[in-house]
Amino acid sequence: MNEIISQYFDLSEMSKHFDEVFDGFVITLELSLIAGALALLWGLILSLLRQLPGRPFLPVRFVTIAYIDVFRGIPLLIIILLISGSLAFLPLPDAITIPHWLGKPDTFWYGVMALTITYGAYMAEVYRAGIEAVPGGQMEAARSLGMSHGQAMRNVVVPQAVRKVIAPLLNDFIALMKDTTLVGVIALNEVAHVGRDIQGEAFNSSALTLGAIMFLVVTLPLARLVDKLISREQSRFTRGAPRVEAL
Amino acid sequence: MQVSGGGAMLRLENVHKRFGQLEVLRGINLDVRRGEVVCILGPSGSGKSTLLRCVNLLEPPEEGEIFLEDKDICRGAGTPSGEGGWQLDFVRQRVGIVFQQFNLFPQKTALENVTLAPEKVLKRSREEARAKGTALLERVGLADKLGEYPDRLSGGQQQRVAIARALAMDPHVMLFDEVTSALDPELVKEVLDVLRKLASEGMTMLVVTHEMGFAREVGDKVVFMDEGVIVEQGKPADVLDNPREERTKRFLGLVLER
Repeated sequence: MNEIISQYFDLSEMSKHFDEVFDGFVITLELSLIAGALALLWGLILSLLRQLPGRPFLPVRFVTIAYIDVFRGIPLLIIILLISGSLAFLPLPDAITIPHWLGKPDTFWYGVMALTITYGAYMAEVYRAGIEAVPGGQMEAARSLGMSHGQAMRNVVVPQAVRKVIAPLLNDFIALMKDTTLVGVIALNEVAHVGRDIQGEAFNSSALTLGAIMFLVVTLPLARLVDKLISREQSRFTRGAPRVEAL
Repeated sequence: MQVSGGGAMLRLENVHKRFGQLEVLRGINLDVRRGEVVCILGPSGSGKSTLLRCVNLLEPPEEGEIFLEDKDICRGAGTPSGEGGWQLDFVRQRVGIVFQQFNLFPQKTALENVTLAPEKVLKRSREEARAKGTALLERVGLADKLGEYPDRLSGGQQQRVAIARALAMDPHVMLFDEVTSALDPELVKEVLDVLRKLASEGMTMLVVTHEMGFAREVGDKVVFMDEGVIVEQGKPADVLDNPREERTKRFLGLVLER
């Protein structure tokens, strides 16, 4: 029992390395927020491309569906390795192949790219579910009033769809946040990478445990928020329930 | 531009509509004059709603022509040209439709429901759209509900908002697709009263309905449809009281003995 506590919960180890671990966690948060925001946007774009109507857009729909299927089917770790290992050798401007935007290292941006590519595909599916959950009469009503497909999507369908999928999107964001640790394998000093370095030197895992605790500080409230949003959304459709203010 | 119709507001010539194997409309011919109120009756599945949805090209016909104000709005029906072959903008800015299920935008207030399309499609200023929308909602008796969301309104109130929303686009023709069928009986009258008022103001209207009393009182013409064709049409008194066709008699017998 003592071994368990000293290996995983050694408070002196934790306090000794708190600053390093915390710095790593800050990188984790930055990576999560930037990649999360981009994936939210990219996913929405993909889902809208997938919904374009009519025969002329058939190729667009086909390519979009293929993209979504492919990147949902490849492990994120492999995407990270593919990008970080070879992007620098491609005949593109250095600003893209070896990015150092906002003073962050290239490994940070490789991580952002991989996470956006992969989670954009996941989130596109979430948006799609939301768009399909909006009754068809909404699109018909908007079109019958003279709105184009794009106007109807923007003003009528997407606002309703997004409201329906805020909770599942947050779930995907939690998953994305945890998956940022995979970017540690290309030597980005995010929290897991930092914790692992300390573990290797100290033969003690407490710093990693500390990193895990930092994750929980963020992910647990988010998970509760998701639950709350879901029950709120359900109560909107429960007969006799008090009306819930729009989010 | 192909010209035909001889001054009719709306003219359907041999309109066919299929959903896969199912032929829902099998050659519809219909003339609607300016200011005329045409009530369309018939059993469910007879193609009444599909007919309305063809007229505003929500369901473009595969065959036949539809003339709106003498303009052929679906020339080349049945060609795989997509929406490009149809006069969508021309139609949607002249034809308003009100649905059985209201289809109000739930995230918008009553007034916002009415002002959205005029602002986005007709590019009216916010002030102008709001002034007009307010006037329209007053006209349908909802002056005190401008800021309410649809889920706070009764079915009859929602349907009146939907009518105001369609009128906000200054339509020349209004289509009503069983607009009272989803309402509690005591709410039907408030919606029919709005339709009566519109008719008396000279609006051209196609009304799919099961309200025989309304058809008799307000209709200039009654059309009876069954199995995708118009079985009989004429003045309300003729069709409703002295139907010539056996199918019309059977239908009216079933409806009136309720």
